[in-house]
Amino acid sequence: MSVEVRSLSFGYGEFRLSVAGLRFESRQVASIVGRNGAGKSTLLKCLGGVLPVPRRSVLVGGRDLAELKSPERARLISYVPQEIAPALNYGVLDFVLMGRAAFVPTFSVPSREDRRLAEEAVGFVGLAGFEDRDFSQLSSGERRLALVARTLAQSPDVFLLDEPTTFLDPRHEVEVMELCRKLAVEKGKTVIVTLHNLEMAVKYSDEMVFLKKGRVAASGPPDGVLSEALLEEVYDIPMAIVPFDGRKLILR
Amino acid sequence: MKGKKGRLLIILFFLLPFLLTLASLSIGRYHIPPADLGKTLVRTVLPTSFPGVPPEYRDILLRIRLPRLLLALLAGAALSVSGASLQALFRNPLVNEYILGISFGAAFGAALSLVFLGKGFPPQIAAFLFALGAVLAVLLVSGRAGSHTVSLLLTGVIVSAFFQALLSLIEFFANPYALQSLFFWLMGSLSLATWADLVISLPVMALGTAGLVLMRWRLNVLSLSEEEAAALGVNVRREKLLVIVLTSLSTAAVTAVAGVIGWIGLIVPHLVRMMFGADNRKVVPLSAALGASVLIVADDITRVAASFEIPIGILTSLIGIPFFIFLLGRSRKVWL
Repeated sequence: MSVEVRSLSFGYGEFRLSVAGLRFESRQVASIVGRNGAGKSTLLKCLGGVLPVPRRSVLVGGRDLAELKSPERARLISYVPQEIAPALNYGVLDFVLMGRAAFVPTFSVPSREDRRLAEEAVGFVGLAGFEDRDFSQLSSGERRLALVARTLAQSPDVFLLDEPTTFLDPRHEVEVMELCRKLAVEKGKTVIVTLHNLEMAVKYSDEMVFLKKGRVAASGPPDGVLSEALLEEVYDIPMAIVPFDGRKLILR
Repeated sequence: MKGKKGRLLIILFFLLPFLLTLASLSIGRYHIPPADLGKTLVRTVLPTSFPGVPPEYRDILLRIRLPRLLLALLAGAALSVSGASLQALFRNPLVNEYILGISFGAAFGAALSLVFLGKGFPPQIAAFLFALGAVLAVLLVSGRAGSHTVSLLLTGVIVSAFFQALLSLIEFFANPYALQSLFFWLMGSLSLATWADLVISLPVMALGTAGLVLMRWRLNVLSLSEEEAAALGVNVRREKLLVIVLTSLSTAAVTAVAGVIGWIGLIVPHLVRMMFGADNRKVVPLSAALGASVLIVADDITRVAASFEIPIGILTSLIGIPFFIFLLGRSRKVWL
């Protein structure tokens, strides 16, 4: 399912996000990069319906995001926050099961089928065997995976992952990015992530969007768009792109 | 607690309030042998049967004990379920069922009626209306400040304080007799329950409690941050309001007929979580069962322990708190 940002404007305080003419396709991973405060998370939250968007500004699969009711929207597109702090110590399976909220009526409980989908999602992210563990017993990498599993149980067509690799060790970082590719390639999802690690972004994404001060500085496939001049413009420090073994290393 | 042992315990929890109700029918100043309970019931329907059973049993059971026990059963369930739901909704273990101003709103209403309005305006009605009025004030004031959890809790504290001040003002001007009945009301008691009061209040308690029990899984989702719940497809504003309306209706109905019975809504859900974990699918219904049981036992004690009736609010605190402290050290990690 494609996501089309026609003309989106959202602001609070001094900050204003102003983005137009972006398109994200299914079976692809797109990464949004830029400095802290550039509007990456705000953009994702707007796309996920967590922050309100004006009418006709964002289309998801051709439908106006602003017109969709909460459960309907959640079945199409879902925002996965960066850090979560649950107040209560739920078990992993109970936590993942909450992804089914858009399918379970307010005065009801999840069905056997909901539970099966949650179990499947736990297996897909590689947390099989952790179902009965308490959330507090998970490492931060495992928590990130549980969060992806919860979104998988929600089964939206579009995944919006806010800095899914921050604070992770290199191995878990790779594991989460591989999972993003798997979601796009095996499940046909549209995956949009915000990232700080530029090499990861180059390696794992089909599209990159560079944000600066709430505006799009450049966008396109990594090979086409990436340049030292662009990096300096976006990050305000000089950086060098060094080809190595068929990949691109970015030195700062 | 999981597996077979856990399931057995859950069944026991749900049977407990009904077994206690049966046992409590024969307990009291006037002892009625358990064997005569059934006979009295049959005699009520067929007046010629069991001539050996004293006729006053019928009056004691049907007009005094049964309404009181039904009130204990539903009030215990309503207060505990409200407490459990609000703790999940506000993501805060310190929250109780009175946090949005119900106790002092109700107390002020009752005081107004007992001290100034007299017989024309019964304290039950005044308490119920002012309890809901206090919650409405909290919603309106915090709505202006944004619908966030913290501003709701803060406004609850402020509105409570406001009604507390008004209550003190009334107490200051009240004559000693009115003050005495007000104090008795404030300490909570099930002894004033008559069928006339219960006909209105029990259905309200039942409605609020049933609604929350049906929402038990939804409360898991609502206990996440607002951002997460919204991302999962929940209309957070609307469902939060729904939970607040249901808890307020049932708590206000209890407070109107039984006064302020403290600690039940705080202690019971915590006990249940310590034993069965955080999942509200278990916590909410089990809190109903345990809350009902606790209030029935507490009321039994007030009826038989001394030659006068100990106010039940004092008793629930005196028994509940030490037990709570005992369990606190040995429980699993439920809150993060």
